[in-house]
Amino acid sequence: MSDLLIGFQDVLNPATLIWVAIGVTLGYVLGALPGLGKATGVAVCIPLTFYLGPVAALGMLIGIAKGSAAGSAVSAILLNTPGEPSSAPTALDGYPLARQGKAQKALKMGLFASVIGDFVSTVILIALAAPLARYALLIGPVEICAILLFSLTFIGGLSGNSLIKGLIAGAMGVFFSTIGLEAETFVSRMTLGLLELEDGIALVPMAIGMLAVAEMAVQAGNVKVLDSEGARITDGASRSDRVVLASEWRRCLPVIARGTLIGSVVGILPGLGASVGSFLSYGATKKASKTPEKYGTGMIEGVAAAESADNAVVPSSLIPLFALGIPGSVIAAILIAAFILHGLTPGPLMFQQQPRLVADVYAAMLCASVILLIVGYTGQRLFAQVIKAPLRLIIPGVLLLCTVGAYMETSSVFSIYVMLFFTVIGFFARKLDFSFVTFLIGFVIGPNLELSFRQSLQLLDHNAVNLAKHPIAVVFILLTVAVVWWIGRGKNPAAGGQVTRSSRATEKHVPTNS
Amino acid sequence: MYEITKRGLLGMAAAALLGTVGFGHAGMAADYPTGPITMLVGYGAGGQTDLVARATAKVMAGELGVPINVVNKPGAGGAVAARDIAKAKPDGYTMLFHSNSVINSAPFIMEQVDYKPEDFEYAGMITAYQVGMASQKDQPFNTIAEYVAWAKKNPGSSYGALSPEARLYITEIAKQNGLDVNIVPLKSGSEMINALLGNQVALAFSGGIHYRYPDELKTVSALTTFRHTSAPDVPTIEEEGYPLGMDSRTTLILPKGTPRPILDRLAGALKAAETDADFEKVTSAANIPIKYLGVDESYTEMRDTYAKNKGIMKRAGLISD
Repeated sequence: MSDLLIGFQDVLNPATLIWVAIGVTLGYVLGALPGLGKATGVAVCIPLTFYLGPVAALGMLIGIAKGSAAGSAVSAILLNTPGEPSSAPTALDGYPLARQGKAQKALKMGLFASVIGDFVSTVILIALAAPLARYALLIGPVEICAILLFSLTFIGGLSGNSLIKGLIAGAMGVFFSTIGLEAETFVSRMTLGLLELEDGIALVPMAIGMLAVAEMAVQAGNVKVLDSEGARITDGASRSDRVVLASEWRRCLPVIARGTLIGSVVGILPGLGASVGSFLSYGATKKASKTPEKYGTGMIEGVAAAESADNAVVPSSLIPLFALGIPGSVIAAILIAAFILHGLTPGPLMFQQQPRLVADVYAAMLCASVILLIVGYTGQRLFAQVIKAPLRLIIPGVLLLCTVGAYMETSSVFSIYVMLFFTVIGFFARKLDFSFVTFLIGFVIGPNLELSFRQSLQLLDHNAVNLAKHPIAVVFILLTVAVVWWIGRGKNPAAGGQVTRSSRATEKHVPTNS
Repeated sequence: MYEITKRGLLGMAAAALLGTVGFGHAGMAADYPTGPITMLVGYGAGGQTDLVARATAKVMAGELGVPINVVNKPGAGGAVAARDIAKAKPDGYTMLFHSNSVINSAPFIMEQVDYKPEDFEYAGMITAYQVGMASQKDQPFNTIAEYVAWAKKNPGSSYGALSPEARLYITEIAKQNGLDVNIVPLKSGSEMINALLGNQVALAFSGGIHYRYPDELKTVSALTTFRHTSAPDVPTIEEEGYPLGMDSRTTLILPKGTPRPILDRLAGALKAAETDADFEKVTSAANIPIKYLGVDESYTEMRDTYAKNKGIMKRAGLISD
């Protein structure tokens, strides 16, 4: 604790704070721009930080990660084009709110949820990094496999109007995720002889096409209607449309608490990532709600659930990195290089060898949370003007950014083709009312599930009896069975009363999945 | 305040055109380099090879007096970037900084890759990968021989593998000694570390990053022909009687037909990294030994390792011809 006070003394000077602030602002803008994301931002900025002191450099890089996780909500809410895949659930309710003239309210809720999730998760990191990381190591591939299997059941809750269509979209997501080199025999699956597909379809160009470009295409088709609507509603006139009311705070605080918890746990577990966190939180909130059918029409809780979890993942994914030296996420893997360059080797020894530097980094992270609130609050007034601009001006700009974003990660035109391919799929998914959210869940979870299942087979020595040594896995498998049975009986809130026919039909199919 | 006139614009366009022609590097090797050089890296930004590449680019840019732009072009373990290089103009202004494994082992592993050492030119090698087998500190074995004895007593133990080569090593050792080992597929180096630290596997193939964890992990065998700088007491797999050592080094790879004077010029600039303090800082932080090889030695190294790896893969039954 006294270390942390010294840390604050080191950080709270303009020379350091300015870099943290620059990082957060840069991240926020990158996150808000569809197509550009935190991984790209941090990777591009690492060489720039060579010239900074270690605290300023690390504070800036972590600031970028934090800022972009929050910023991605802005475009999700205003344009229905999530800045990053993990903000896709934010758009589900955020965009309807914006169209109802409550953009500012949704933006504020998103920001507050982000900051709370981020701050609490940072505190968890500081207080519990060492003890928690030991437990995280107990979660091996067998447990991960069971947890992922359970996560797939959330497809049931996020399917939109039709469970069948949700399952089809989810299965399509899994299908596309299987493309590429197979992990055990190294056979190329469905790569069509293209070298670029050996590593599989990259998430970023796929998500940009599916989420952002497809949405722009749909909106371009409705441009007249949306513009006239926009002219009519623009920004909510009354104050209650612009601020978060006390009653909404009361409803959202438990949601944010749950989102933060889910996000923190998902962050600690290796290989899951922010998208899984925000989807799980959104799904759980919808399931727990008394009025699940209203989700997707502009429930402020939906925004709070997704954003709190999205941001909580970032600091907690640093827990395995700090405590054990294991990068638990893409962002942590990129940061590990930066940490080592700046003389801080992540791992348990770091606390003994460099206590002061660690305390400085912690203090910088907490400062970044607060700066995020300030930057976000100021930035939103500017960003919210976007909704007043006619779509015919916005669409070309967004398309340009999307193309740049798809290109940047691989410096390859092929990624742009991938983006366009998924634009077509995303366009028809929207037109035919297939859920792209369940597609994304299938795509993100599919490969991890396959790999961890193959790993589990080897680790269990091909003998199901050995599963008894993994009680956590057993619990999650039982939970999965229970939820599938529950969905199968047609009590799934998302499916609602009118689709009992379709849910009865799925009863036969779902169990074979598990 | 400039006044924009039609003639002025035309003049500017003409000047710009002339400028581009001037940068056309008309193939004069004598005054090379006259413009910025593009350095492709076949892995994503932020990884180990990328860090070494950026540090190398910095040193070489200083030596050559022109900027070197690092461009990450990940895909298929560098095979995508290598394909780009094979097609690039052989003028010395586009090069690939990558592990030579993309040429000396990828062709035997990936169906769609069929590079040969003669398909490229080389301007030197700078660092070596400390590929090895790693295990937890408290495991009772310290060499492959001891591991084999242990694995015989513990059938059904697990080994972490993240590449076809990784599988090849354990399959060969298991075949020769009649071991029953489960091979757990892993996707990345960090996942490998996870599996080791979490005691999921008893032994794992490592590209060298296990040296970051000196308090928890140890090296059981060096899978190279040389002993590792970071663990000079650990015998190589060849010393233990398995002729399977496969070396890989970061190499400057250029398009076929690049003139020899340009290669020499680049290799000269690369040599400066060998003694550069900043470069040393980056590589030592990541436990990467500097082993500089000049132009001629690089060609020999490429040919030798290609032939050797081919033999190993053939004996293991991974390739037929």
